[in-house]
Amino acid sequence: MNIAIFFGTETGNAEMLAEDIATELEDQHETTVANLADSAPEALQVADLNVIVCSSYDDGDLPASAKPFVERVQSEMPDLTGVRFAIFGLGDSEYAETYGFGSMKLAELLVSRGAQALGERPVHDAAGDELPEDMAMPWLLEIIEAADA
Amino acid sequence: MSAKIAIVGGGPSGCYTAQALLKRAPDLEVDIIDALPVPYGLVRYGVAADHQGTKGVARQFARIFTRQNAQFFGNLRIGRDVTLEALRRAYDVVVLAAGLPGDRPLGIPGDDLPGVIGSGALTRALYEHPDAEALPELGEAPLVIGTGNVAVDILRLLAKTPEELSGSDLGAGPSDWLAAQKIRQITVVGRSSAAAARFSPVMIKELAELSRVDLRLAAGGSDAGEVLAAAVAGSAGPLPIDFRFESRPVALEPLGDGLQLTVETPRGRETIAASSVISAIGFTGDGSFDRDGLLAEAGGAARLYAAGWFRTGPVGAIPQCREEGQRLAQQILDEVQPDPARIGRALFAGRAGITDFDHWQHLDALELAGATDQRCRRKISRRDDMLRPANLQDA
Ligand SMILES: Cc1cc2nc3c(=O)[nH]c(=O)nc-3n(C[C@H](O)[C@H](O)[C@H](O)COP(=O)(O)OP(=O)(O)OC[C@H]3O[C@@H](n4cnc5c(N)ncnc54)[C@H](O)[C@@H]3O)c2cc1C
Ligand SMILES: Cc1cc2nc3c(=O)[nH]c(=O)nc-3n(C[C@H](O)[C@H](O)[C@H](O)COP(=O)(O)O)c2cc1C
Repeated sequence: MNIAIFFGTETGNAEMLAEDIATELEDQHETTVANLADSAPEALQVADLNVIVCSSYDDGDLPASAKPFVERVQSEMPDLTGVRFAIFGLGDSEYAETYGFGSMKLAELLVSRGAQALGERPVHDAAGDELPEDMAMPWLLEIIEAADA
Repeated sequence: MSAKIAIVGGGPSGCYTAQALLKRAPDLEVDIIDALPVPYGLVRYGVAADHQGTKGVARQFARIFTRQNAQFFGNLRIGRDVTLEALRRAYDVVVLAAGLPGDRPLGIPGDDLPGVIGSGALTRALYEHPDAEALPELGEAPLVIGTGNVAVDILRLLAKTPEELSGSDLGAGPSDWLAAQKIRQITVVGRSSAAAARFSPVMIKELAELSRVDLRLAAGGSDAGEVLAAAVAGSAGPLPIDFRFESRPVALEPLGDGLQLTVETPRGRETIAASSVISAIGFTGDGSFDRDGLLAEAGGAARLYAAGWFRTGPVGAIPQCREEGQRLAQQILDEVQPDPARIGRALFAGRAGITDFDHWQHLDALELAGATDQRCRRKISRRDDMLRPANLQDA
């Protein structure tokens, strides 16, 4: 199964995690990594397991690199039925009211177009001590196992 | 391609440029040189002590040295320890990413009176920069000139209770200093209207949520946006913070133990008394480079490039440094013409006192080991201790 990893970022943390995920998986799977800024809605393919890493900005908004993608989905209204995605958020609990909202908004948008969300949507807390890859890998391996089965 | 690239400055723009260069061309020899013994520039000494999440980019930057094979040359000031000319002869490309460390002066009569401090000088002292001045007495009624995010950072730190500073890396000295300040009111003066102020709305929201803060619109502000209006309506702590918009500073004079600021407003001239003045109106060079001349010369032919605040002026935050670093990396790779005769890092061979990235990792571990319930890190602040941390351990 090809695993297509996308990231939405402003300061690069989501890109680093996306690359870490690809490195961890590359022995077992085909992987690709792409910035959402360079991705069209068609990049989300039914045959792939799509993994998205996305941060949050200004009052629960999407990070800059996710915005053009989201605008295209909103205007082109693609049918994403059959598309499966797992999404991992980056956030900061200091922004308590909008914690993880960037990834949440993106997930809701994809689901509204018919895509299926796999697993939970964990959010890494930049104000906490845990490393994002330590949270993301067990989460994703479980999703991959379930998807393979 | 194994061109030799020297980046002067290990702040966000230098680091993102190195990251992007090495991602595209892993065999480059990229050396990041910083005047300080430690890397990361304003991520360590500008981003607020209570915004630790923003400092998380340091994890990416560390990988430039631990995985992408860039080398760090700390405690090496270009223009003093090594000339820029020598550096340019030794490397195929030099990138100037030295930031803008100076406070832009107010440019009004009295702007150099005692009791006037720049936001850069104040934040460096608060965040324990090794070259910082001593923290000043601010008195009962400090006045902040400027309405950008740096001004709001300062307001927030001044207004926080000790509990609200929990989890930050504000040092013991600055924390004690803060607790000893007897501030009863803060005035903020800005030239622009409220709607045109540069602070980001989330920063105002965060300020208004503090227990002691009472945000007030003392002058101007009829065009205040939703967030500022809500912040004013929703904050009711014991510490008034008065925003005065559309107030252009014209002169500072001594007044009693303090100062008096005259401002030009749509209603005419007004005067504001203050116990101290913090100017937060931007940054400029500190004179160590002929910035204008170098920027004019920069380009492929000169094998010289500029990045970050050094190039753009003091505008733009960390995300802009990243975007620009990626663009610049591509430009450099398109234009570089490596010459194997250039000696690169051999220029520094045998020079005493240079710190490398291992040295920083050692300091970093020591600082993290000094964390407490209240603080996520204990910064080492004296240059001597940074250079010889073994002395600290013995003490
Ligand atoms: C108080 C403050 C708070 C900020 N808070 C935030 C925030 O919360 N979020 C955000 O996104 N942005 C914030 N910013 C903006 C952000 O810090 C800048 O966008 C960014 O640091 C600019 O990066 P730079 O690499 O150009 O400069 P700098 O970070 O200043 O790095 C320049 C480096 O060059 C070194 N250097 C200087 N001269 C020499 C020399 N002659 N030889 C060798 N080395 C030299 C310096 O020691 C320094 O390490 C803040 C800025 C300030 C001033
Ligand atoms: C100005 C600013 C606003 C932010 N707003 C939010 C927010 O509303 N919710 C949240 O969960 N995280 C917020 N964050 C935290 C970032 O999402 C977090 O630092 C993340 O690791 C950044 O990842 P990136 O480098 O991929 O952009 C904010 C960070 C900044 C600097």
